[in-house]
Amino acid sequence: MKNATKNLYALEQLSAGGTCVHRLHPLVKLMAAAVFIVTVISFDRYAPMRLVPYIFYPMILTALSETPHSMLLKRVFIALPFCLFAGVTNVMFDTAAAFTVGGVAVSYGAVSLVTILIRMYLCVMAVLILVSVTPLSEITGEMRRLRVPNIFIITLEMTYRYIGVLLNEAYSMITAYRLRGGNKKGVDIRDMGSFAGQLLIRSLDRAERVYNAMACRGYALQNTLRRSRRLTPGDIIFLAVVLILCATFRLVDVNRLIAAGIFGGV
Amino acid sequence: MLTIQGLTAIYPDKTKAVDGIDLIVNDGESVALIGENGAGKTSLLLAVVGVIESLSGVVEIDGVRLGKKTAGEIRKKAGLVFQNPDDQLFMPLIYDDIAFGCRNLGMPEDEVKARVADVLDRLNIAHLRGRSPLKLSGGEKRAVAMAAVLAMNPSLLMLDEPTAFLDHRARRSLVETLKKLSQTKIIATHDIAFAAEVCDRAVILKDGKIAVDGASSLLYDEKLMSDYRLEAIAKG
Repeated sequence: MKNATKNLYALEQLSAGGTCVHRLHPLVKLMAAAVFIVTVISFDRYAPMRLVPYIFYPMILTALSETPHSMLLKRVFIALPFCLFAGVTNVMFDTAAAFTVGGVAVSYGAVSLVTILIRMYLCVMAVLILVSVTPLSEITGEMRRLRVPNIFIITLEMTYRYIGVLLNEAYSMITAYRLRGGNKKGVDIRDMGSFAGQLLIRSLDRAERVYNAMACRGYALQNTLRRSRRLTPGDIIFLAVVLILCATFRLVDVNRLIAAGIFGGV
Repeated sequence: MLTIQGLTAIYPDKTKAVDGIDLIVNDGESVALIGENGAGKTSLLLAVVGVIESLSGVVEIDGVRLGKKTAGEIRKKAGLVFQNPDDQLFMPLIYDDIAFGCRNLGMPEDEVKARVADVLDRLNIAHLRGRSPLKLSGGEKRAVAMAAVLAMNPSLLMLDEPTAFLDHRARRSLVETLKKLSQTKIIATHDIAFAAEVCDRAVILKDGKIAVDGASSLLYDEKLMSDYRLEAIAKG
């Protein structure tokens, strides 16, 4: 559990890096990620191949930001069961044949499952890369600047911070429980109720102390807009490239163009 | 200068934490708040920065009176280092934790960087800059928690049980650091020897009230200290 807490914030610790991606303006990174995600989501669920060109976005940014790819992939896998569950129901209900491969019919449900998985990979990677190259405080700062309702931002900030608090408290309680629990491997089912209750109360208490410490250092629940640094030509070029490529891949079927180039028209 | 007049503060469950306190702390003074558990030391510090509600009385720092609208201004002037550094350090990186207060003050990022670098150097913890608070020792956490407050450059520095969880070496280092700081200091502590070494004035609290207020030499008075269930420092 201690490791879970460390892993939780490991990605954000990478945001202290100094690569060209880290140096980009947080607003530009936030907008690029948002545009990328919206474009990826906008595709038809039966067009998985149209999403393939977008794989370059996470690949290039991961390489430039020197973010360990394995670290990102581990986190992508966390979202996998949820998407698989949603996709498998499509396979079960959407059984009409979309095309055949070597005499085997591939259903529209299977095609949409592939689309969901690619979409999930691209969207989760975009968010993970954003977090690994931008401190959360800068992301939320720019969200405030974009006039995202403050309640959403506070909820995001608090949830993110208090997950660690909850994990730390659970770790301390489990350690104390084990030390006096003989050979028990986990928390006994009859102790589970009071354990969960105590965990909640202790977490609330600790969260209040953390909040007090934040308030003592000037944190206020209302908008606290910080002065943002200016956009550089590099920031504008990066955003322009992302916007142009996202729009191009959305409007033009690049796969078809390439196929036409290779096979002379399909 | 800190002026407290007739301060009575209560917790949300209506427990009276501080009861009619009058206290004036002049610029540059170092005051030790001493008292047994539950005497109201921590509560007094929290009431000064408006974290717990004042039922009556006045708190004024450098001419700014504590109120709902001025709480932010008061917290710029008075920095509080919490008893448990784990409550204070919540960012993934030490740098961000120290920068947190400065950013909330609306400082431009360049100034935030300069302040963080300065305070890390002053406390000899520059090597911790890119580390996570989860991986620090107790002494390092204490130093970072203090750095986080000092970065905001408060005129009044308040520390709650600063020697708790510290070994002898870390405690010594803290004494040296505090002696170098020019700020006005209020230190709530059970560590009488520490209080005598760092502070020139001692205030003994009992049941939320000030029982004794005098020079820190009173910490050597066995009779007086035992009257308040405290242990005097052995002479010699």
